[in-house]
Amino acid sequence: MSNKIYHTLSLFDKWVQENNNLVNKWKQQEGGGDTLSRDQSQTHLKWCTSEFETLLRKIQGVPPLADHTQLEVSVVYNACVCFTAQSQFTEAELLLKQATERALQMAGNFPVASDPPVLWRTVLKSVENTALNSCVLYLLCLQWAIWLATCQLKMIEEFQEELTSLVETLPDGVWDDRRSKARGKSFDISLLVMEPRRLVELLQICTSIAQGAERLSEGHSSEALSGLQIASSLPAPRILVAYTHFLSGSCLAHMSRPQMALQCYRKALETDFRCVCALYQSMLIYRQLGNTQAEIQALHLLHSTRMLPSATEPALACTHLLSPSSLLRSQSLSSLLSVPSALSVLHNLALKCVLHGRVSEGVEHYLDLLAAFHSEDHQVHAEVPPLPRLTELYLEAGTALLMAQRPADCMALCDEVISTTLELLPEKLILEELEQRNEIRDVSVEGEDRVAMLLWTGAAYLLQGHCQTHLKDWKQAVIHYTRCINLLMKVWFKKRGFQPQIPSADMIVKEGTYLSVLQKLKGLSLAGRGISFTQTDQLKEALRDLQLSLQAFPECVGAGLWCGEVLWRLGRRRMAAAHWEKTWTFSAQSSLESLPVYLQEPQSGPSLDSTELRHRIQELGPI
Amino acid sequence: MSLYKTPKQTQSSSYEMLSSFTLPLVSAFVHEDELKTRMRRRPVLICVFHGQTASPPFSSTSSAEAASPVSHFHLKPVLFKRLFGIDTALIKSPVILCGLPDGRLCFLPLRLPGSRLRVLHSLEQPVVFIGASVVMKTGPEHAQCLVAVGELGRVLLIKMDKGGSEGECSRAGFTEGCVPGPVVCGCVDKRHLYYSTGSDLLALDLSKGSSGIEGQECGEETSAALQSPTSLNVCRVISLAQPTCSPAGEVQLLGLSIRGQLQRITLPVWRKDARMSKLPQGRCSARDLLSAIGDVYERASVLKTSIKSKNQTLRHLNQVLNISFLLLASTREEHFPIQEKPIRCHAMTKWSRLLQKDSLNLTCVLDNSSPYVLERGWTLTIAAFPLSCSPSAGGESSSTNFSFQFCNLHPGETLEVSLPLAAAGDTYFPVTINCSLTFSVTSLLGEEEVASFTGLQSGCISLPLNTLTVDWLHVLQVKSSTASHKNTTSQPNNITTADTIQAFVRSHRIWCSGRGDGGGGGASALKQEQYSACVRVSSELLRDTLVLKSSDLDPQEPMLAPHNLCISLLDWMLSDSLGGVKMGHRGDEIALSSPVVHAQGPNGDTVKLTAKEVNIGEESMAKESLSAIEVRVESSSVAAVCGLHHAVLHRVQTLLQRAPKRPASTKTVQSLGLRQALQRAECLLQQIQQSRISAAFGVGESTRQMTHSFLSVYRELRENPLLII
Repeated sequence: MSNKIYHTLSLFDKWVQENNNLVNKWKQQEGGGDTLSRDQSQTHLKWCTSEFETLLRKIQGVPPLADHTQLEVSVVYNACVCFTAQSQFTEAELLLKQATERALQMAGNFPVASDPPVLWRTVLKSVENTALNSCVLYLLCLQWAIWLATCQLKMIEEFQEELTSLVETLPDGVWDDRRSKARGKSFDISLLVMEPRRLVELLQICTSIAQGAERLSEGHSSEALSGLQIASSLPAPRILVAYTHFLSGSCLAHMSRPQMALQCYRKALETDFRCVCALYQSMLIYRQLGNTQAEIQALHLLHSTRMLPSATEPALACTHLLSPSSLLRSQSLSSLLSVPSALSVLHNLALKCVLHGRVSEGVEHYLDLLAAFHSEDHQVHAEVPPLPRLTELYLEAGTALLMAQRPADCMALCDEVISTTLELLPEKLILEELEQRNEIRDVSVEGEDRVAMLLWTGAAYLLQGHCQTHLKDWKQAVIHYTRCINLLMKVWFKKRGFQPQIPSADMIVKEGTYLSVLQKLKGLSLAGRGISFTQTDQLKEALRDLQLSLQAFPECVGAGLWCGEVLWRLGRRRMAAAHWEKTWTFSAQSSLESLPVYLQEPQSGPSLDSTELRHRIQELGPI
Repeated sequence: MSLYKTPKQTQSSSYEMLSSFTLPLVSAFVHEDELKTRMRRRPVLICVFHGQTASPPFSSTSSAEAASPVSHFHLKPVLFKRLFGIDTALIKSPVILCGLPDGRLCFLPLRLPGSRLRVLHSLEQPVVFIGASVVMKTGPEHAQCLVAVGELGRVLLIKMDKGGSEGECSRAGFTEGCVPGPVVCGCVDKRHLYYSTGSDLLALDLSKGSSGIEGQECGEETSAALQSPTSLNVCRVISLAQPTCSPAGEVQLLGLSIRGQLQRITLPVWRKDARMSKLPQGRCSARDLLSAIGDVYERASVLKTSIKSKNQTLRHLNQVLNISFLLLASTREEHFPIQEKPIRCHAMTKWSRLLQKDSLNLTCVLDNSSPYVLERGWTLTIAAFPLSCSPSAGGESSSTNFSFQFCNLHPGETLEVSLPLAAAGDTYFPVTINCSLTFSVTSLLGEEEVASFTGLQSGCISLPLNTLTVDWLHVLQVKSSTASHKNTTSQPNNITTADTIQAFVRSHRIWCSGRGDGGGGGASALKQEQYSACVRVSSELLRDTLVLKSSDLDPQEPMLAPHNLCISLLDWMLSDSLGGVKMGHRGDEIALSSPVVHAQGPNGDTVKLTAKEVNIGEESMAKESLSAIEVRVESSSVAAVCGLHHAVLHRVQTLLQRAPKRPASTKTVQSLGLRQALQRAECLLQQIQQSRISAAFGVGESTRQMTHSFLSVYRELRENPLLII
């Protein structure tokens, strides 16, 4: 009679079953994660989250009972992990807060404060040495994860003590032991979506990395270093360990110990080759040290790693819930970890090679770069930092070709630039006085910078003139230089409050402005034409051009020397000697890296032997 | 929120996705707009090449719109550079030009690293066509002019302006003009833009504007020219192919008409000196004219019918709206009594016996007392759902829906429908009956038109009429009233043997399943009414209300005797059409003569309703005691007792609403032992809470025990009611 007709599971058992079903389903999905697309797994995750939340609402419908704490905490844990994995931190925090308040009620206290840190302290104190303690620690674990993911490192520091003790207590596996003892049946144990031990390990190293990056950006390098050193011995995924080494290196670099920094970067790369940022930073250190060969080598390596197919995938991608990338979101870290794109690296490499005497290599790289632009299969995505304008790349490549004794190719490249820009050039252009280069430019309706365009065209003509000089076709050289000069004369300069005028030599020219580029171009083209005239024995014209060149750009070595030469030939030997002497004084500082490579003085033209010149001065004897 | 879509750029050689770009559409409005007209408005794509490339490396670009011609153009280098920047020109990258439904004209250089979609111009109306035209002069290959056409007829020409004054360089000129829209499709040849408005095909001479006049004047000239397109007298073209030009100068267009006809349209030779409008006339034959007339007639007759049907629909819709407003107004005013609602339902219950099975039928009457006609398209929907449900149904409350279509219901007419409410013994009362009138838009518009309205999900308007409740009192089958009149005490004998056995079997089943009685008695106790519940109503109240009610019937009797009062209370309870539902079984209409009623419930249990007068109050204060009528419900079935108790309470509630307001003396209230009652209730509440928590975890206590405890609480509650004054 008293037999139950309906055998009903108690609600508790039903809930445990429901939770375990969900967890198992998730684990299955995670196991076969490769076959599913990212979208699908995201949808699945969303579904799981809402299911856990519903279950939790049911459980929290009954008054808090000590017997069911473990189940409740498990479900809270699962739901929070899912929320955090989807970056829904406010929802997760709300759940945590509710759970801790219920824990407080179970411990017999009533929640007083709503402030999270105060609440946590109260809870931790009130459950100390009770059965609830381990449960609450699990919730604290999740709070840690949320703090980390939302970059609230201050909070983590505040709770440093508790978190450290958390790390120490967890390895004993208190949780599972207690549960299996209490229940005895495996049926009753509520499963978790992520092993708490793994979570704590992950949190520990990620916290160290985030803290290191934060301190480094605040300038407390030595503090950061000690923390990172400890973190590097923690058990963690390889890439994270590599990051600790990398950050240590960055700290050392900040403390101006480049050699030690290089060691650390090497260690980082040895730990995980995907840590490309270490390679990039090493390159920067070599550049800082002036070790050009090593810098070029590093750029080489960097380029080849960026070209690997795996390079496009983010190193931190992870199929598991709560990947490191979702925990490491601080701005300072991501700026440290950023690496320029393959094309940008290639450009850097090419430029370095050309600037440091490895011309043929540099030319190859430039050609690769240009080929990449013409190929059809490269990814179109935003470049950070942006590449220089294509026109400038063409001009640089042209200069490199000229240096590599390939004037014909250089001419072809310049032709392309000129043919592109020529039709768009204005008849007259007024350059306003600007404070900085980056200030408002004269941008026409179609979004092109007309001054820049004119200067590019001028540079292209100049390069063509250089090519002709190289080929010793003086007539052609004069034609090209003249074109350049004519073009440059279209630019008028307008000072504030004055009428537009052709820029003269006595103006103070700031480095890096359009005006400086203009003057430099003018100087170089006039010098080139002057030198060409010298070769055709038109000495008067030559002298005029060379002197004008020196006016526009007083530091021009070629113009100075050749001006002396012309004067010498005209028989004004004293003046010639004075010119030479003067030129030799500023020859040292003339190689300015701040100017584009195509604006540097050509090395390929007719040259004057300075020993011979000194000889002549000596022969001239003192006055 | 921004909407993203990804057109794919495919490479012709391998047909694999090269890369994808996201085009953010900023406003949600655009999104909605686009969704609605997805069939027609899609982004238009063309691929533009730099003029100098000899052979295009891309031989095709896929377009989001299958209908638009897959095409690419070689643009004049200067224009290309001006529009898309010199970097793009330098590497001769193909450029995707894209006209979006919000009117923006965007471009994207394909090969430039870090390039992003940039806006070239905004047409401010959906772009339907982008093309490029040579516009006479210069070489054969390079297009000099980009043309974009908006849906509403805005035409944008982009070409190089001649350099202006003051040494300014030449710049790209954007010229806008308007042609009469709507533009369905378009195409360009060397000099003309052809576009179809659906009713006509028109040609627009693009070369007029560029006849050498400079600067601003040029723009004005062009827009003036744009306003006079030439009609070509071809209607219903929805798609055009790229025109071909024969050596003789004849232009051939391929057009697809809306009926699926593929037409080859041959245009006359363009002559510069001749007026455009004169040319087609010379070639028009009588046959062409006849066919044109035929076309026009056909279109006119179609329009006429559609206007007629639209008028009819409007009239219909007017009626529908009137009725809707009427019903909405009456639902908004809650106090509006049912009897005064212009369109309402009332119902009658009736037991009928068919094939040895009792079943309860409900007859619903829809009464249209409004001045409007309920026309075709209206449906009376009746949804019946029990308040509680059987455990066998899986805990889901199941509702039954009936709908009755009707054709025309004129003012003053009624519609009677009848529906099975329940078979004997399987329904749980009370049942709520929701009556509503549903109007389906389908009857106005027809299926396919409704389907094209994505916003109108169901296509139905549902207006609630009123809600009826069929409760236990309505479904009681009162034992032959004459019998009860004769001998009330011998009532048990009236039960047939079959009924007894049935009752026995049923109660035994219930008992076995652990839901029956609390363990007392056995089979022998069957006929004892074991459960009872009572309601006490002050007789003063009853006298007031019932007399008030019956006064018009029986004005001579000023005061009902207590006995009579009991009878009239029961009578009223069983017969009154409360809430519009009436009991239909009392055809004989003999008034009750005894305050005891025996009846059979819907699941076959016998129930006894008793009304008697009692005095309530503490003994010591006898004179303060109140006389009250106690209605007692007794039955062997718990369900019957619960249901009837609920129903009786419900009736009394309506009675109270009807009663005139009167202050009750506080003394009387005090004397009713309120405090005791309150304590009792608190005690019970605790008991309930305790058992609920233990029930939730199912530990320790057996279900039976729990049920028992709940039952005792329930009985306690029902047995000691407070007096209703």
